[in-house]
Amino acid sequence: MNKTLRNPWTYVLFLLPLLVLYIMFFVYPMISAFTTGFMKWNGLTEPHFNGLTNFKHAFNDDKFWQSVFNNGKFILFSVFVQVPIIIFFSLLISNVKKLRGLYKTAVFVPSVMSTAVIGILWSFIYEPDIGLFNLILTRIGLQPVMWLSDSHWAMFSILLTNAWQWTGFYIVMVLAAILSIPREIDEAAIVDGASAFKRATKITVPLIMPVISVVIMLSIAGAMKAADIIIVMTDGGPGGITDVMATYLIKYGITNAKYGYGNSIGVLIFLFSLILTALYQVLFARRVERVEY
Amino acid sequence: MTMTLRSMKKTAPHILLLGFLIVTLYPFIFVLFSSVKSDNQAIASNPFGFPSSFHFENYYEAWVNAKISVYFLNSLYISTLCSVATIIFASMGAFAITRMRYLKMSKGLYQFILIGLLIPGNALLLPIFIMLNKMEGVFGHPILGTHMALILPYTAGAIPFTVIILSAFMRSIPGEIEEAAVMDGLRAKGVFWKIIMPITVPALVTVFIINFIGNWNEFILANFFISTDELRTLPVGMVGFRDIYNTNYAQMSAGIVFSILPVMIIYAVLQKQIIEGLTAGGVKG
Repeated sequence: MNKTLRNPWTYVLFLLPLLVLYIMFFVYPMISAFTTGFMKWNGLTEPHFNGLTNFKHAFNDDKFWQSVFNNGKFILFSVFVQVPIIIFFSLLISNVKKLRGLYKTAVFVPSVMSTAVIGILWSFIYEPDIGLFNLILTRIGLQPVMWLSDSHWAMFSILLTNAWQWTGFYIVMVLAAILSIPREIDEAAIVDGASAFKRATKITVPLIMPVISVVIMLSIAGAMKAADIIIVMTDGGPGGITDVMATYLIKYGITNAKYGYGNSIGVLIFLFSLILTALYQVLFARRVERVEY
Repeated sequence: MTMTLRSMKKTAPHILLLGFLIVTLYPFIFVLFSSVKSDNQAIASNPFGFPSSFHFENYYEAWVNAKISVYFLNSLYISTLCSVATIIFASMGAFAITRMRYLKMSKGLYQFILIGLLIPGNALLLPIFIMLNKMEGVFGHPILGTHMALILPYTAGAIPFTVIILSAFMRSIPGEIEEAAVMDGLRAKGVFWKIIMPITVPALVTVFIINFIGNWNEFILANFFISTDELRTLPVGMVGFRDIYNTNYAQMSAGIVFSILPVMIIYAVLQKQIIEGLTAGGVKG
């Protein structure tokens, strides 16, 4: 028994392909980013160490800060706009019996779609002349808006599309949490004469705080990942106003082959994600009590 | 009076939910209607309504002009190949980690792979790009710009998540089963293929679906690691098509329908597994 499952060669053989790929595509790139991030390197000449110059350059670049703030806008929009909507509609769906399956299936549809295709679809909706939004605006007698090329509206338009794609996904997650609350808790409150609103705000919402905290964590992770939707819809435009850190990195690192500088931005993405995770732990995760039924 | 108040209470949530449903689904319907209208003019004059005449030739033109068949097959084979490769490597690794008798070593390796989930993918984008570019010197022919430039990172990228899900599943398999198999003379390879893998099928199906959808929808690597039109995957091909035919929204809509339809069909058939898999992945990831 022990001999069969304690053969060092078999053990190594089973793990080898996995570890080779993992080291090649996770460990090595991470080390590479952290070393070349401190170098001047454009891909043609030999890289040479230049200390914190890349990072100083980034911190002095307004466009870099613009992209950091845009990552922040993704997070704020999810926490303060999306989360209340998610809670509201999850509560509604959990309260109906008829059509519940249909609502759940339908709201989830956009989250299985490719973000690139969603971006194409929504650029059509935002199209100035024949897009859905401007056709509605002109029909009710309002001025059309240049959704994606007006610097006041471009970021909002992207945030709206992103929210449209992911709200349903989170609704299904929160709904599952609501439906796993034992019925007796709600029934006891009904017997005590609590109104539907009171039951929702005093019982259901506190009980689903753990899953809401997960939704917030996933929104933060999603905000740091956002890039494809921006490349497809505005490509950072107009004038870099919709760039996020990832698209800023791509512009310098891949499009202009500034390998050293690009990797220093990669290091900053890593550090900012780390800081956000720590902040999230302090602000949300620690405060949430897990309730076992 | 009480009756109407009661029925109001019953219908009010449905009205709000149907409104939300329309907001979610109407963009698809808008594109579907636009895809059979004659041109931009027809879309502008009658944006919401049913098309007055049906122009199915938009679909033919989009299929030919956009080379959707080429992109579609590229996406299909890359997504399938990578999802299968990830599952094979990850299940072999998960087997060694959870079932073989090197517990201390395995615990360390598991933690080591877990770190992969915490690294933001965007930070690794450029180093991987540079590495694939340099590989030409090692293999004698270019990797960047070929399908290999997607197959390798897609296969590797899904490893941490897949190992975690499969390890959790394999850990829950009782040890008596494999003990009996070893008594019957099976070697480690046999235990893996004949005993553990068949039991793990439900988890394998879940991770396959999640990885397949992820690969099918991936855009950033596919956009920057490949420049030849014939090698593009569906999302990138569609964006290129949009950039060229952005004056003909009817045809573009037909293209969008083509790229959405396969996922819609898979979703219609496997919605339960997809919803469970993706939301569980979210919770665990």
